[in-house]
Amino acid sequence: MSKLRLPLFITRHVVIALLIGGFAGIGFVLFLTEFDHLTSTETFCTTCHSMELVADPYRQSSHYRPASGVQASCGDCHVSEGVFAATWDHFVGSKDLFNQIFGPDYDDPVINALHLPDAAFAARDWFKQRDSATCKRCHVKEAIFGTRPDTVLIHTEDAKDKTCIECHYNLVHRVVPDKAVFKRDKWNRMIEEEFGLSPGEADKLLGGE
Amino acid sequence: MLTERTLGGTGHWRLYALLFLFLLIPPAVAEKVKLDPSNWGLEEGKACVSCHKKSSAALTHEWQSSAHADAGVNCLDCHLADQVDNDAIEHEGAIIATIVSPKDCGRCHTKEFKETEGSVHAKAVSVVKNRLPALADDLSGKEMVAAGCAQCHGSIVEVRGDGTLTPETWPNSGIGRINPDGSLGSCSACHGRHSFSKAQARDPSACTWCHTGPDSPDDEVYASSKHGMLYEANRSKMNLQSDQWVLGKDYSAAPTCVTCHMGTTPGVKGSHDVGMRDAWSLNRPVSERQYLVIFEDGDRRELPESQPAPRRGSELVKLDGTMGKVKAVASPKRRRQIMSKVCLECHGKNFVNSYMKQFDNLVKLYNEKFGKPAEAIMAALYEKELLTPAPFDEPIEFSFWRLWHDEGTAARHGAAMMSPNYASWEGMHRVAQNFYGEFLPQLRQLAGEAVANELIETHLTSLDQNSWLNNPAKPNPTLGYGIGKESHE
Repeated sequence: MSKLRLPLFITRHVVIALLIGGFAGIGFVLFLTEFDHLTSTETFCTTCHSMELVADPYRQSSHYRPASGVQASCGDCHVSEGVFAATWDHFVGSKDLFNQIFGPDYDDPVINALHLPDAAFAARDWFKQRDSATCKRCHVKEAIFGTRPDTVLIHTEDAKDKTCIECHYNLVHRVVPDKAVFKRDKWNRMIEEEFGLSPGEADKLLGGE
Repeated sequence: MLTERTLGGTGHWRLYALLFLFLLIPPAVAEKVKLDPSNWGLEEGKACVSCHKKSSAALTHEWQSSAHADAGVNCLDCHLADQVDNDAIEHEGAIIATIVSPKDCGRCHTKEFKETEGSVHAKAVSVVKNRLPALADDLSGKEMVAAGCAQCHGSIVEVRGDGTLTPETWPNSGIGRINPDGSLGSCSACHGRHSFSKAQARDPSACTWCHTGPDSPDDEVYASSKHGMLYEANRSKMNLQSDQWVLGKDYSAAPTCVTCHMGTTPGVKGSHDVGMRDAWSLNRPVSERQYLVIFEDGDRRELPESQPAPRRGSELVKLDGTMGKVKAVASPKRRRQIMSKVCLECHGKNFVNSYMKQFDNLVKLYNEKFGKPAEAIMAALYEKELLTPAPFDEPIEFSFWRLWHDEGTAARHGAAMMSPNYASWEGMHRVAQNFYGEFLPQLRQLAGEAVANELIETHLTSLDQNSWLNNPAKPNPTLGYGIGKESHE
């Protein structure tokens, strides 16, 4: 009878190394899962003051306070599902952290508002590229019945080949027009008026960096 | 010497002349869109309806039953916007604007656009601009402007830097609306969205949406006139749906607002310039007959007859403050002639002229007996500093305002449109009640007996019409004087 024979290179040390490596791997994945989870919360995101400024309108929105009680937190919409994708998103997103520290003073409401459109365009592109995947975590097109009789038809017939973000933008954060019709000049004048700045000051603030 | 040949030639000449004359006669048919149909029916706009009949079924239904739908004009044909437009928004992949301005409508309806553009309707904002600070801001409040003034006169539509329209200025269908594209007016003031039905716009209710109430009681005046009476009774005979709507050909049961102020008759060309046939200014403290000045660029303005008539080719200030070159001037007489021509479709010449005489006489009576004296007294009070320069902080200012703006207007409009009740009881009688019962007592209280008497003597009792005030002993039993006593024979 033959005895189960391990290959010769599986020495005791190798077995120990594999075990340690395996556990470390599992630990790492568990860590990433926890890490992604924690870094997707509103509490974490708003540790940067600049994020408070965009969280404010979110807290007034139906995604924060829906009748159903199903609250979407920052990461539910802005971080992909799955530990690897989520980690990747966080990795890419770390450039925001970099910019927060070394870039313009996003904590300043004026600077924040001036940069907001670019952030909105980037976010919309992100949603579009992923076929609004994070929306679909909660929303199922076929299950959107709405309160009016034709809502379900609109979603199953007319929006058949569309992705959520194509129609549903400006839902949560401050209204920013679509890129195709956005006018930087008008936006800057609006922000100047809103914050009582003199005409042209916004352009200087934007160009100054 | 006449030969057969030349005679024959003359015959031809006559025929051509007749043909030529025939061509000169204004078209009796409403202006048709001259644009080639390839200019509308945008491919990208055909899909809108599929969703909109679910999301806004009633609106879509209105469009579906419209002439626009029949002709293949779809949502995008009107709502299409350019990326650079201030109010352009992205909507389901298309770049559109919520507001369809007269300029947009004018892409196809060129004639109507040109006519309304220079009309008093399109200038409805500038007409009240000077009054707004006192009337709207002080007396009521800015919130009222959006819900009140601007709904008829039009708002100055504000587009925020994020492309949204401010709730202070939109929604608005005011007839003098200043649109984001710079054009003036709103076609939907009269032509309800989205059916744009001819019948609806020809119905007097299209006008009386704004022309009602104390300062322009045209709804009430018309309803209590013979014309309005006939319209009510004969609405089913009015042929309002007809493609062509020429008085005497397509309908005859009654004239509506449109008939007299814009409509086509066999001798009069229809026009969307609604004030064109008005010889008088009827909404001022003192009425004046007025010229209509037509500029080279199609813009128009009115000028009181007391001023010299501008010459053709001369420069004149337009209502927007810029200079314009005068192309033509229509005298008040000419304007009256055109209006009278409409009347002649139903009435005899003598009837029309005498009726106009009755109307003119009432306007002159109002002017001389009340308008001018009251205006002169007010000017004197301001000059003597018996009144503060600010309007509406003293009772007499309200009385004067009501005298010409409400009661005086009711009287003059009542006479213009044959409502005996409005000419008299709602009009002149209220003017008199106010003038003798409020305005003059307030004057005495404010200025003291001596100054008041001096002003009254200068501006009132020297006039024939007011000389009855000099005769307080003349009895009349209307209010009970002498009743119960033995008659004096």
